[in-house]
Amino acid sequence: MPEDSHTDSDHVITVQHLVKRYGGFVAVNDVSFSIREKEIFGIIGPNGAGKTTTVECISGLRTPDSGSISICGLSPHKDRNKIREFLGVQLQESSMPPRLKVGEAVDLFASFYPNPVNPDGLLETLGISHVKNSIYKKLSGGQKQRLSIALALVGNPKIAILDELTTGLDPEARRETWALIESIRDRGVTVILVTHFMDEAERLCDRLALINHGKLAVLDTPEAIAALAGGNRVRFVPSQPVDDKTLYNISGVVEVERKERYITVTGTGDLAASVINSLARIGVHVSDIEARGGNLDDAFVKLTTHDASNASGGVQP
Amino acid sequence: MTSVPSESKEKESRGHFSELLKVEGKLALREPTGLGMGIGLPIILLVVFGLIGIANPGNVANTGYTVLDLYVPVIMVIGFIFLGITSLPVTLVRYLEIGWLRRVSTTPVPPSRLLGAQLILNLVLALAAILIVIFGSKFIFGAPLDVGIPYFVLSIVLSIAVIFSLGLVVAALVPSQTVATGLTGLLTFLLLFLSGLWVQPAQVGGPLATIMYYSPSGAAARALLSSVFNAAPPLETVVTMVTYTAIFALLAIRYFRWE
Repeated sequence: MPEDSHTDSDHVITVQHLVKRYGGFVAVNDVSFSIREKEIFGIIGPNGAGKTTTVECISGLRTPDSGSISICGLSPHKDRNKIREFLGVQLQESSMPPRLKVGEAVDLFASFYPNPVNPDGLLETLGISHVKNSIYKKLSGGQKQRLSIALALVGNPKIAILDELTTGLDPEARRETWALIESIRDRGVTVILVTHFMDEAERLCDRLALINHGKLAVLDTPEAIAALAGGNRVRFVPSQPVDDKTLYNISGVVEVERKERYITVTGTGDLAASVINSLARIGVHVSDIEARGGNLDDAFVKLTTHDASNASGGVQP
Repeated sequence: MTSVPSESKEKESRGHFSELLKVEGKLALREPTGLGMGIGLPIILLVVFGLIGIANPGNVANTGYTVLDLYVPVIMVIGFIFLGITSLPVTLVRYLEIGWLRRVSTTPVPPSRLLGAQLILNLVLALAAILIVIFGSKFIFGAPLDVGIPYFVLSIVLSIAVIFSLGLVVAALVPSQTVATGLTGLLTFLLLFLSGLWVQPAQVGGPLATIMYYSPSGAAARALLSSVFNAAPPLETVVTMVTYTAIFALLAIRYFRWE
């Protein structure tokens, strides 16, 4: 089978039918996706879903059992030396020698690459130039994380893989890191972001791959995924009792939940309007109405738990 | 590696290696336990045995050697043991454990360069220890050394090879820094004993002397003893060290993992 027989010119990474096993455990099971140039591509999923293994295969740290990966037409395994020159990687749970200074670390990594960026400028951009002479073990969690990002970027990469970027950061540092990722993308870098934070994925990513139990559950924009599972929600109090059948007949309604006097319907389209109009037609008025769009969190929980019950052979009602 | 390295690439690779060496050197100075034991301890032992030699002139157990004569090679071997068995594997295992080797392996530079830089650093320290012990014993304590350069170089190369390769086996096999520290401590103690630090094989005789002579550190000390008095190292010491080195190197290569 010819490798990368068809690669779209604007696709910098193509993963096809990727499979990786650890012993009898299938960590990644037939995952395929393509990443466009200059997008922030998110890989989300529960812990242990196979996210890290997927990016480790892309970065050439692990060899897939089957399937193919093409990065700008190159193979991470065969052309690993070539690819490493333009692929920056920030690893999950990777640390540095405790007494290595920030400035030494970036200078060292700059010396590893053919066309590095200016290390001092990078530290400035990342807001850690003031700790240039501090040793690694004296840095705060946020500073360590920034240094880790600096090492991933100092080689002036075309593609950056960032794994669990903001885990362990406080909310302010997270927001600053997000702004940083956007600025990296604006400089023309394609970013692959592995995360299990839905707010991060929603805020940053152009497209998301949701991986669950080693399989690609869904691949779409954050908005589309949010709408896909759950969609919009409308909560209201009807002026008189309404039965489920009536509610399910309203166009767009997918699910109905009741709690005390409140009814919550979930569905698609302009849900609030169609609920109000349809109920008005049969003489029911609604009050205390509250509508909100579906969010990624709901979608994530729904998609992953649904899949889990399927996988464990659970019976759907 | 399909592309032909251009000249600028060559320059690049020298650039990163000198940068790696520089950083490893600075780190060694900031955490000078290895440095202190690899060089400081030989200096202390040299002074101690130099003074003992002055207090107890005459040869030991009819060997024809004075106390200091007998201990010159042992002290050098002790320096190698602390560098190759105590310092090197613990540093490598730590790099492995904290993911530093893995981190480096995502760059165009293979992580083996980090190992190379560590080896060179420790070899430089070993060389410093050799020079200090040879010149110190000869010119400060008046040991009648007559270093036969070819014999000496052969003995030194084999001694360092056998001890450092054993250190690499430890680095390859132990799972964590804690285990590495414990195991290298034990191994260091054993090798120090076999090298003759507490009791010389010539003094104990019998099967224990044989065991010492055919151990990595004992063979090293014995070969060095001959070579500092301009004699060829006994053939069995050479064979012993070559055999151990081959076995250790194979084991280290077979089991070393970069992550």
